[in-house]
Amino acid sequence: MSIQKISLTTVGALALGAAVMSFVSSGTVLSLLTQATIYAVFAIGVGLLLRQNGMVSFGHALFFGSSGYAVGLLLQAKAVPAEMAIVLTLAGLLLVAFAIGLVIVRVPGVSFGMLTLAVGQMFFLTASRSRGLTGGADGMNIEWPSSLFGVSMSVLTRPSSMFMLSWGTLVIVILLLTLLLATRFGSITEAVRDNEERARFIGIRTLLPRAAVYALSALVTGVAGLLSALNTGFVSPESLHWSLSGVALMMVVVGGYKALWGPALGAVVYFLAKDVLGDYASHWMAIFGVALIAVIVFSPSGIAGILDRLLLGRRLAHKPHAVPTAATVRH
Amino acid sequence: MLTINLFNGLTYGALLIVMCSGLALIYGLRRVVNFAHGSLYMLGAYIGYSIAGASNFWVALVGAPLVMASLGVLLDRYGFRLLQDRDPLTVVLVTFGLLLVIEDFVQTVWGKSNLSVQAPAALNFSVDLWGTPVPAYRIAVIAVGLAVALGLSLWLRYSKVGLFVRASSTDPTTTAMQGVNTDALSAGVVGLGTALAGLAGVVAAPFLSLSPSMSSDVIIDSFVVVVVGGLGSLAGAFVAALVLGMVQSLGAVYLPDESAVLPFAIMVGILIWKPAGFAGSRT
Repeated sequence: MSIQKISLTTVGALALGAAVMSFVSSGTVLSLLTQATIYAVFAIGVGLLLRQNGMVSFGHALFFGSSGYAVGLLLQAKAVPAEMAIVLTLAGLLLVAFAIGLVIVRVPGVSFGMLTLAVGQMFFLTASRSRGLTGGADGMNIEWPSSLFGVSMSVLTRPSSMFMLSWGTLVIVILLLTLLLATRFGSITEAVRDNEERARFIGIRTLLPRAAVYALSALVTGVAGLLSALNTGFVSPESLHWSLSGVALMMVVVGGYKALWGPALGAVVYFLAKDVLGDYASHWMAIFGVALIAVIVFSPSGIAGILDRLLLGRRLAHKPHAVPTAATVRH
Repeated sequence: MLTINLFNGLTYGALLIVMCSGLALIYGLRRVVNFAHGSLYMLGAYIGYSIAGASNFWVALVGAPLVMASLGVLLDRYGFRLLQDRDPLTVVLVTFGLLLVIEDFVQTVWGKSNLSVQAPAALNFSVDLWGTPVPAYRIAVIAVGLAVALGLSLWLRYSKVGLFVRASSTDPTTTAMQGVNTDALSAGVVGLGTALAGLAGVVAAPFLSLSPSMSSDVIIDSFVVVVVGGLGSLAGAFVAALVLGMVQSLGAVYLPDESAVLPFAIMVGILIWKPAGFAGSRT
């Protein structure tokens, strides 16, 4: 994609968000859209790991919940201003995730999924049991100051501005990732994903790029966690639970992970469908389970893949993407 | 005090053996990490509850695994076999979808409240073990775990079908060329693995209460066991299940603050040292 096309898409996406913000007057609809957008950022984090490393994480809620807890605890301690707390949280998350990544990306294939699940549950149990620090299962309120980055809190948490903030973050995250993956870093990680052994033979050190992708996907997920903490002013162990990681993964698969924006589409579809299915809400698990199985079986590239085929027609058939397949995902 | 804790650890370890041998068998033949295994365990427990209510516990002990076995055969025929050439990760996600469906099914049929199953009258007494009274039912659970471990090892080692299973899990194509019907074999093994999940559920019902959350705890423990033991290694899973049972039970008493984290810490430690698990040769 050329720079012009990228900037045009970005401006268009931001304008779309502004249009939604100004034409949707219902606060309920806006807050539903805000939630969908926050989860879209979350899903992009999980999708990035799958797209760029070929790895499925069942434990990304760890980073979603942790960033909420970290900023909550920093604000509670009142040691640093809120802006600094946000920066520290994200920087800390990136470092910790990189360190965790150095250990766990060495575990191949499906074991990796199980390991991420276990590590995530470890933090979930810790947060649920440390009543003194985190309020245990009741969760903790986050004491945001009266203004953030010079914007008054009452303005910031209005449904319309909260939506625009989340939407803007989503667009910028996709923009930055698109630019980053167009660099040498993107090619290296794709080479490592497609054939780790061959990448090693041509002199690429494979551990660091894998861990870097893991850390980056954790950072994106952490940004979503921060948005959620700002949106609700609250964090509880549920935001660390593995079922949340599973939900994010469903969004990634349903939306399609081969396109960077696929997971975001999955998140929006998930929230809208959940709302539409309101009458059958008690059976949403079964409905989404069946939908998940159907998408995986009939369209492995998800809704994004279907759209791509419809929009681009046969052009795509002659230009195969480098996507992980049975032969290339390491197992 | 120590006796009863060691004993409880052994009981939970025995339950995990039954769970994990099913998980390991299915992985061995189909290369599928079955995320729905915990839900199948839960389904087995609830089916056992209904059968036990209609007749008695002993009928449930046989009936529920049989129902689960037929379900397993169907799962293999209409699920795993059709997906066998696909990326292993997509199959994992299919089992995750299945998990959601089963969880919803169980909550719809049996409700969300906790249910309980009475231990059979014949086992409703206590045995004196070095001065500590222990329930006979739990001794029976340990016996079931050991019987499953021993039975599976002997079956795989000495029977003709066991030989086919071992051959097929190493190289299904060559095994099929030698004239073994590997599709039927896989269906049988997935059926057996699912039946074992159901058996674990029925056996657990009288000493752990039935609730919609019962699947998630046990599946995570089972994953710790198979990852630590080495995916696909039955022997590794047996040892890891017993160790984890002990760690859970003793940890809760001697290190109450760290007990929740302990199994995961062991898992992370093992994987740093040996990414394929301590008895695993392949992934």
